[in-house]
Amino acid sequence: MIGGIKEVLLALVLVAVSIGISYFRKLDLEKDLLIGTLRSFVQLIAVGYALELVFDLNNLWLILLVILIMVLVGGQTAGSRTKGSLKGFTISTFSIGVGTFFTLGALLLLGVITADPKYVIPLAGMTIGNSTNAAALALERMYSEMKNKKDQIEQALSLGVTSTQAVEHSFKATVRAAMIPTLNLMKIVGLVQLPGAMTGMILAGASPLQAVKLQIIVVYMLICAVSIAAVITSRLSQSTYFTKYHQLVIS
Amino acid sequence: MFKIELKKVTRKRAVKEGNNLKEMEVLKGVDLSVQPEEICTILGPSGSGKSTLLRLINRLEEVSSGSIHLDGIDIKELEVLNLRKKVSLVFQVPVMFDGKVEENLRFGLKVSDEKSDEEMEKCLNLVSLDSNFLKRDSQELSIGERQRVSLARTLMHKPEVLLLDEPTSALDPTATLQIEKLIKDLNQELKLTILFITHNLSQAQRLGHRCVILIAGEKVEEGDSQVVLQNPNNPLSQKFIRGELVKEEK
Repeated sequence: MIGGIKEVLLALVLVAVSIGISYFRKLDLEKDLLIGTLRSFVQLIAVGYALELVFDLNNLWLILLVILIMVLVGGQTAGSRTKGSLKGFTISTFSIGVGTFFTLGALLLLGVITADPKYVIPLAGMTIGNSTNAAALALERMYSEMKNKKDQIEQALSLGVTSTQAVEHSFKATVRAAMIPTLNLMKIVGLVQLPGAMTGMILAGASPLQAVKLQIIVVYMLICAVSIAAVITSRLSQSTYFTKYHQLVIS
Repeated sequence: MFKIELKKVTRKRAVKEGNNLKEMEVLKGVDLSVQPEEICTILGPSGSGKSTLLRLINRLEEVSSGSIHLDGIDIKELEVLNLRKKVSLVFQVPVMFDGKVEENLRFGLKVSDEKSDEEMEKCLNLVSLDSNFLKRDSQELSIGERQRVSLARTLMHKPEVLLLDEPTSALDPTATLQIEKLIKDLNQELKLTILFITHNLSQAQRLGHRCVILIAGEKVEEGDSQVVLQNPNNPLSQKFIRGELVKEEK
């Protein structure tokens, strides 16, 4: 059986291989690898205990709190990639939160999943992870659109259109860029990549068909959450580059 | 047929100096009055604040102090989107939006297609282009054609004032003369008030009823184009006209 402490310790051999490569090739990564190994061990064990507790208590408020903390961490991660990090954090946290709660809420309302933490929390994790990537990509792309297309945007503004009309092209490009990883996932899922949820279920002993059904739900859920996060992040971040008089402000 | 007045207009901007941001005055208390239907050229070396002046009138930027008036009304009291349609800015490098020329001409308009077709042909004629241009891909136009389409696109909004930021700087001599003639025709036919930025002294003489010389953000001289450009009073204007003024001077 996979998952005993003995197996975990044996898997450390693979880390030793990696450290060996770093040592002999003089990559100077041994310290980072050791810290990373220790950190991931401690983090995952702590999360394991925390999830055990949440699963045992099965309390709705506790589930919501866990999801909220995950959303905040996602928002911080996505927001930290922008210059105005407080605005980036606020925008990405809001958009990730809306995407996540809307998607999970819809799955619950439709009766696809039950309000059981063992379903809700892993699905929330996947949703938030993918939405975080989408929000980070949207923030970065919108910044480069504003910077690189300044002349085109100002030309449009000078003709008396609103800032939203002036950046419509950039807005679409940003949303598309933010959704590309999820769209690619949809195209290759099962053919090239066996995604985490499916792999996990198969490893845990579920039949491949059962795993596939869950994975299909996950893919649909991700595309919905990512669309929402990408659109909201793009629109809100766009608005931070303009004054109320439709003047482009970018350094 | 609008009169434009600038009253002690100052524009400050944060500029990077090493790792620090330093506030710099791009325009320093500029007073200027442009009469209705007048062509006023603005001359000055690079970095003297000429483009900023036009951006302030089009309200792409805000004045730091002072005020700008259009027919006696502070532009801050006007709805900004309407202001930009009435006071149109044509950029040094004409930017074409993706698509055909007709899509560029229709940009930002809310008129019926039929009316829009007539208007488009009329505006293209005003810039000496025929209606065949409507179906041309805007990205495949020459720089001279782009500048004409850019002017036509501006005219679709029926402006009262044209702000032209060195519209001929990228053009060859023939295209430059054609655009100059076009500007004069538009001024006479449509009774437009025109502010025209140029580096070219002879162009200012050919075009402008009046010229203004801006140096390091200050208006140093203004008056009849022929008089000012041939016999400038201000020592800095004299140096600029002789081509002896470097940007850092003053």
